[in-house]
Amino acid sequence: MARLANLETEYPVLDSTVRNFCASHGIFSAAFAEQNDSSERLKEGIAQVLSIIDDMHQPWLNGMELLEDAKRNKHVFPTGIQGIDLLLGDGIRVGQLTELVGPSSSGKTQVCLRTASNVARNHMVLYLDTGNSFSPQCIAYFLGKTISPSSAQAKNQFLQKVMSNISCHSVFDIFAMFDVLHQLESYLRCQDGRGCCQMRLLIVDSISSLISPVLGSSSTLGRALMTSAGYLLKKLAHQHNLAVLVSFARVSSVLVWLN
Amino acid sequence: MGSHAKAWLVEDESAREMLDRVLTERPFLLLPPLHRVPLRVGNVVELVGPSSSSKTHILIQAAITCILPKLWKGVSYGGLGHSAMFIDLDCRFDVLRFSELLNHRIMEAANGSSSKVGCHQKDSEAQFERMKPYNEELFALCMKRFLYIRCYDSSEFLATLKTLHYRLQKEREVHGVNVHLLLIDSIGAFHWVDRGSSSFPLECDNRKSWHLQNVSEAVVQEIRRLLLVHPMLVMATKAVVLGNKYSTNELTWNYRKWSAVDNPYSRNITSSDQQLPYREYMPAAWQSFVTHRILVRATDDDLVNGEHQNNSIYLLKWLLPPLNSLDKFTVRDTGVFILS
Repeated sequence: MARLANLETEYPVLDSTVRNFCASHGIFSAAFAEQNDSSERLKEGIAQVLSIIDDMHQPWLNGMELLEDAKRNKHVFPTGIQGIDLLLGDGIRVGQLTELVGPSSSGKTQVCLRTASNVARNHMVLYLDTGNSFSPQCIAYFLGKTISPSSAQAKNQFLQKVMSNISCHSVFDIFAMFDVLHQLESYLRCQDGRGCCQMRLLIVDSISSLISPVLGSSSTLGRALMTSAGYLLKKLAHQHNLAVLVSFARVSSVLVWLN
Repeated sequence: MGSHAKAWLVEDESAREMLDRVLTERPFLLLPPLHRVPLRVGNVVELVGPSSSSKTHILIQAAITCILPKLWKGVSYGGLGHSAMFIDLDCRFDVLRFSELLNHRIMEAANGSSSKVGCHQKDSEAQFERMKPYNEELFALCMKRFLYIRCYDSSEFLATLKTLHYRLQKEREVHGVNVHLLLIDSIGAFHWVDRGSSSFPLECDNRKSWHLQNVSEAVVQEIRRLLLVHPMLVMATKAVVLGNKYSTNELTWNYRKWSAVDNPYSRNITSSDQQLPYREYMPAAWQSFVTHRILVRATDDDLVNGEHQNNSIYLLKWLLPPLNSLDKFTVRDTGVFILS
């Protein structure tokens, strides 16, 4: 929260009178100010301070607005695998973070690739690969199974279109992932609402290989990084209408809690 | 001056009148499954439990009871008719599930009243169709009373609390309803992030550093201030990891060692008689603010409810005030259903 003196250049109503008043109440930064009957100028200043703080948090919504947003934006994408779709209730949902947990070689990457190939038909997909497990051949195979037999050229064109919808990045540590996600956030902020082909799926395969190196037994920084990563993914999912799918390799005796 | 002094001594109301007034304006709430202890405004209830133990569900149930009206177009819904505020710190709230539950409660109450009249099957279906526009109107009315906000970190949470007073005043002016319930899910969400953010020394001594304890104290102070002006019932969930009951000795030993070295904020477990089955991680400021504490967890038993539905059974135990009973409940479409 900025100091009031520093905010004066942006908001000229916060001049020295207002600042003195706030200082007399022990307020040096944009915090809660008690209202009492003072001059109009003071009231204006306090109202300005309050609106600055109001901008610092997400907007309040009522139940109807939430419901409308969910119905309009938060669709469900089928993964293409019947059993999983049944468990998830038709597929992975936009606005939520879905986690696949399992020991190694239990098919998590296969599910990720299958989902990517399914969603990429109509939307853009970002695939963050941490273990060089992304396989374009697999995607082509999944797509080849589902399209109707037609000329080789049409098939090729279709494949090209879908493959160009998937963008794959390799990340090998958690800071690189934060980098990519922040870039994604600024990209999506400009993109939202524009264009027909929008990004709708973010896959991180697998997030456990990014988190386990920073997570020691009593390290607070590691857990803080893990929690912040979770919140960044949830924020991207909700604000930019993405479905987020992360895979997590569960090592036998250690249960890591991702919020 | 003398008349002013005398004015202080004249009584406003007798004790009986005061009790009548308080009990009508601020009634006791018995919200299942927390029905063993009546709750009032000004209470701070903490629901503690591991992941997936229906804590958020209990909050949602309380919110629905709060936003439904007591009586509407001749049908009794048994609610309070007030607004409820939900501060989502976990960011996992599912509004579709919430609306489903609300719809089920509305239909259940509507069907309940119609069945009293003694209709046949066809009549009740026709009545259901007739009631549909009323139900939708009531649904919209109730959903508008449910206020929701998400916070992605502690500074957003604090900013929300600091501007809440003006928000509540505006709500009162616009809708004419008071907010009766403040729900926070979950209170320990930013614990690790706040602990991890080291306190950089700032140039000015007047500013407090961003520290876990300071954040917690600020949160408690803001909520306390808010409760003075807007009396509400505060319910918060907290996710904990339950220790294995066979290794509680090891757990307490590790806890003591950990508390001596690392964390000066946790309560000293040896001072209380009751051994907590989990590790308390919230700072003392929050712990002393809580007036009621409940532990919930899921059991491995399932309740077979028809061929397709298998509902898990949850156990509930009151830690503060400490009660010896264990409640069992399950979660159905219409909400929480007490088993014993």
